[in-house]
Amino acid sequence: MPKRRDILAIVLIVLPWTLLITVWHQSAIAPLLAARKDDRHESRRDSRNTFTLKEPCTSENNKDIVEVVRTEYVYSRQPPWSDVLPTLHVVTPTYSRPVQKAELTRLANTFLHVPNLHWILVEDSQRQTPLVTRLLQETGLNYTHLNVETPRNYKLRGDTRDPRIPRGTMQRNLALRWLRETFSPNNSNSQPGIVYFADDDNTYSLDLFEEMRSTRKVSVWPVAFVGGLRYESPKVNTLGKVYGWKTVFDPNRPFAIDMAGFAVNLRLILFKPQAYFKLRGVKGGYQESSLLRELVTLSDLEPKAANCTKVLVWHTRTEKPVLVNEGKKGFTDSNVEI
Amino acid sequence: MATRMKLKLKTVFVLYFMVSLMGLIYALMQLGQRCDCAEHDMPKDRTISRLRGELHRLQEQMRKAEPTKPPQKLAVKPAQPTIYVITPTYTRFVQKAELTRLAQTFLHVPQLHWILVEDSPHKTPLVSGFLASSGLAYTHLHTPTPRDRKLQEGDPSWLKPRGAEQRNEGLRWLREDRRGQPGADTQLGVVYFADDDNTYSLQLFEEMRGTLRVSVWPVGLVGGMRYERPVVEGGKVIRFHTGWRPSRPFPLDMAGFAVSLKLVIANQDACFDGDAPMGFLESSFLQGLVTMDELEPKAENCTKVCVGWGWRLCG
Repeated sequence: MPKRRDILAIVLIVLPWTLLITVWHQSAIAPLLAARKDDRHESRRDSRNTFTLKEPCTSENNKDIVEVVRTEYVYSRQPPWSDVLPTLHVVTPTYSRPVQKAELTRLANTFLHVPNLHWILVEDSQRQTPLVTRLLQETGLNYTHLNVETPRNYKLRGDTRDPRIPRGTMQRNLALRWLRETFSPNNSNSQPGIVYFADDDNTYSLDLFEEMRSTRKVSVWPVAFVGGLRYESPKVNTLGKVYGWKTVFDPNRPFAIDMAGFAVNLRLILFKPQAYFKLRGVKGGYQESSLLRELVTLSDLEPKAANCTKVLVWHTRTEKPVLVNEGKKGFTDSNVEI
Repeated sequence: MATRMKLKLKTVFVLYFMVSLMGLIYALMQLGQRCDCAEHDMPKDRTISRLRGELHRLQEQMRKAEPTKPPQKLAVKPAQPTIYVITPTYTRFVQKAELTRLAQTFLHVPQLHWILVEDSPHKTPLVSGFLASSGLAYTHLHTPTPRDRKLQEGDPSWLKPRGAEQRNEGLRWLREDRRGQPGADTQLGVVYFADDDNTYSLQLFEEMRGTLRVSVWPVGLVGGMRYERPVVEGGKVIRFHTGWRPSRPFPLDMAGFAVSLKLVIANQDACFDGDAPMGFLESSFLQGLVTMDELEPKAENCTKVCVGWGWRLCG
């Protein structure tokens, strides 16, 4: 009988510890607790930083940095470059027309406010035009100037492009190819980047660029003045996952989203080298889906802009937006400011 | 003694067991707090929060370096003329987009004060909120256009001149504000009428800063032409190259001229005539201020078309 008691005692000792150890192993609680401690420590540090910038008794280092940045910013107009922030690779296809310079000037004025932005401007032309070359040099932005001409439709006389290829497709694909040739997937951790397709006639708020900087795979947000609505937006459930699309025009598309409504992590572009925008045979509104379905599934999408309730980008064009799909009652949430 | 020993041992074991059990429960509670078990990217979360901290630091730096932040208590530069930009605006779908673009341009221009005048009987929350977060030095005004002068649904945009009352309100505020601050320095400035649907290059603002009376330059994409411009000979404006009614006293676009603040204050009655026929709005204002040969041509004697752009987004 004492033997049994001993055995019982031993079991009672060993059992909880084995359970604990197995549970510990599975969930990796140790780094979790450590991370939370780190976050708390970091956030305290950050708040201390913001306080010290206002107080006069900062370290001399802080003061010097502020002074230097002031003069540099006034004369060179370039935003500060950080070695830590992921680079935003903004792909803009453009083509010659009267308002081209106005559009590109406005875009440049916007981009000059965004740190760590790399502008990939792709012209739809046989040769790089001097207008764009000069504009890019004058802005002082970090840029790459590419060009590829969409083949003209030889059947129709005149200057019309091939109507079967949606505008800007070849240019965006060239940018994707350039990114894949320039960055290797092995260095993806040392050169973090986000790819965004920004057309030259849209309006972008500065908050948008900071929202997309934390993209892990593909992030999405609402876009104003598309699909005949005040704005189109992804549908987000209470768990913060995208489960559908709040649009009137063909909401059953795999990705019923505008080109300006999503951003892709550079790593994903590099790891899926066969993903491109489909050139031909693409129905109206399916261009974005042709790329996104090769990269990601609906459940992988990350909603931004306060769970897709704020509008940070406007699909403005050189014409009045046509809001035919709003209907009498209004399809979109009228409380959302556009 | 043996039983007491056993008893002691028993309590020790029981205690030990209880402690272990409590430890297990504590660990399970920790598990319960972190819900996204699918996400094992802990180091990535840490990097993201570190990056966010870095971003905030950079944004703070940029805001500190922003030269247009009011009030300019530190005399960083000797009195540089302030550019007062008067912009009339009205509520429509693209209003916020237009104002956003405009603000992003103005943030690059040092010593700029934005006077935004709404065509409305009261200040709208959209514009108020927008201006507060814009980072610019601004004045928010409002004045409604009388109904008979207002464009109705379906009217083409060229039917009635727009923004006259709002620009006049801007001028009124400017004159009143300066009256309360006597001194030669406070009259140093340039007034520019910038509509919210145009594009402005940054060089334009530096060109106009040295305006003594009224300066002029070419404007792109107006008057049904690629550009309109003054024709300059011997450093003086002799006529205007425009496709539409060149016989007007001042056939130029609102975006094609700037007036020195001194002149605006010296001529207290100079304002825009809301009843002027289409295209004569600018003339109604400039006629009382200056003559053609007093105009100062900018943008390399008005040969550089690329400086100012007047361009309509909506119709």
